[in-house]
Amino acid sequence: MTFSEYVVSRWGTLSLAAAEHALVVAIAIGIATAVGVGIGLLTYETPKARGASLALSAGILTIPSLALLTLLIPITGLGWGSTLIALTGYAFLPIIRNTVTGLRGVDAATVEAGRGMGLSSARVLLRVRLPLAWPLILAGVRISTQMLIGIAAIAAYVDGPGLGNQIFEGLARLGSVNSLNATLAGTLGIVVIAVLFDAGFSAVRLLTTPRGLRVRP
Amino acid sequence: MFDRDPAGVRIELRELTKHYPGQPAPAVDNVSLDIPAGELVVFVGPSGCGKTTTMKMINRLVEPTSGQIRIGGQDVLGLHPDELRRHIGYAIQQVGLFPHLTVGQNVAMVPKLLGWPAAKVAARVEELLELVSLDPGTFRDRFPRQLSGGQQQRVGVARALAADPPVMLMDEPFGATDPITREHLQNEFAKLQKQLRKTIIFVTHDFEEAIKLGDRIAVLRERSHIAQYDTPANILAAPADDYVAGFIGQDATLKRLALLRVEDVPYESPLPDPALPAVAAGAALREALDAMVARGADRCSTPSGVITYAELCAAVGPGAATGTATATGTAANAAQEEVTAGDR
Repeated sequence: MTFSEYVVSRWGTLSLAAAEHALVVAIAIGIATAVGVGIGLLTYETPKARGASLALSAGILTIPSLALLTLLIPITGLGWGSTLIALTGYAFLPIIRNTVTGLRGVDAATVEAGRGMGLSSARVLLRVRLPLAWPLILAGVRISTQMLIGIAAIAAYVDGPGLGNQIFEGLARLGSVNSLNATLAGTLGIVVIAVLFDAGFSAVRLLTTPRGLRVRP
Repeated sequence: MFDRDPAGVRIELRELTKHYPGQPAPAVDNVSLDIPAGELVVFVGPSGCGKTTTMKMINRLVEPTSGQIRIGGQDVLGLHPDELRRHIGYAIQQVGLFPHLTVGQNVAMVPKLLGWPAAKVAARVEELLELVSLDPGTFRDRFPRQLSGGQQQRVGVARALAADPPVMLMDEPFGATDPITREHLQNEFAKLQKQLRKTIIFVTHDFEEAIKLGDRIAVLRERSHIAQYDTPANILAAPADDYVAGFIGQDATLKRLALLRVEDVPYESPLPDPALPAVAAGAALREALDAMVARGADRCSTPSGVITYAELCAAVGPGAATGTATATGTAANAAQEEVTAGDR
């Protein structure tokens, strides 16, 4: 069976796996963005809390994904639960790091002018710092997403959703019928998902970056 | 918010001190100063002398360690800082425009915070952009990054004026522009202030700028101690000590001539003389002197009459600044001539 025949014959399984792959990444990124940006907003000004949140999220990222997923099995079992928790954990570092860097990187004079005009600290944060930091925050989310799409393949080891199942099944039966096709389909599927997510982020970036930051002098 | 009388509001600083924790000496030490309503007072001093800290205590960007600040009789330290700042214009050297908002939105920020109706805000934005010589049609919807440095400074001034605050704090607002633009902005601002008569505290380390814009100058030394607080003419005529004299530089008399207009000295004859070097009406005496020196003449012609070198000398001679110029004029002339002779 050629590769294209394989894809056509297994279209149902493949498209479902791809959709699940994209979904689990999207949910994990959604949670990690909400929590990570929140942590960034709360800690960017206090060096100790900022350091702690960055160290913790960096620490999570150093745990090998296979080990983390396996360690989660006794707690959250096989499947979606463990996959989501592990993916969310891995997404934090780029998001928190970029949020903190973005918020702190806003020109001090702009903030001082805002304070001097009588904007409360909450207003300065939400109406000045956040919009100006937004492109960088979005870049962090984008990096995390690309990372998670790759890591999500490993989730197949804990019976998680996604295209990883295709890859690992293929590798396990290497040499037998369709084993190479399965591995290829899984890998290419992941590449396609990554490209689609990235295109999506380009569009979001274009639509949500304040126009004043895009104009040329 | 503040009690305004027709001349504006006065600012009183009483024994104002800022001592940062962990520092051996206070940054600002026991400063007391009265800023009359509707006047522009320049704080001038070297970098790090505490002039900016002193200014920032007035809108409480820096909280005083001790002392009192009254604006229009109102104790500033008893007000909510954000509410207070909405009634004090604030312009800084780096301007600090919000890059994600248009020029119009930048200017409209404080009026909106104060809850002005939209139509009034729009009209105010229009009025202010015209006031700072930016065409509203062209600039209202531009973004700060699309403006030159000078244009950004103008928007900064317009934004500081937005809610028509009686008090303005300006921290080297023209410092970051090139000399030509700076001179232009200074002239325009001087004209604007004549019309607006705000009570302004203006911080600079540029003594020329202080002379040009200030109704009064407070020369500060370290820890914001006031070395001298007087009108530019009086400081130039009688610097309190060597520190102030050092700030003025070697050409105090020329600087004083720059402060006086040809109309300020008596005319020798009421008719212009086309044979003499001519200066325009309203020109500074410094320009008149320049014209005389250039042509080797001892008099020059203005549209309303002829003035002489002797009158020029009398205008800046000893005692001139205190208003007794005419009484001591001759003696001063003699003294001046002696000095000149000695130089040869």
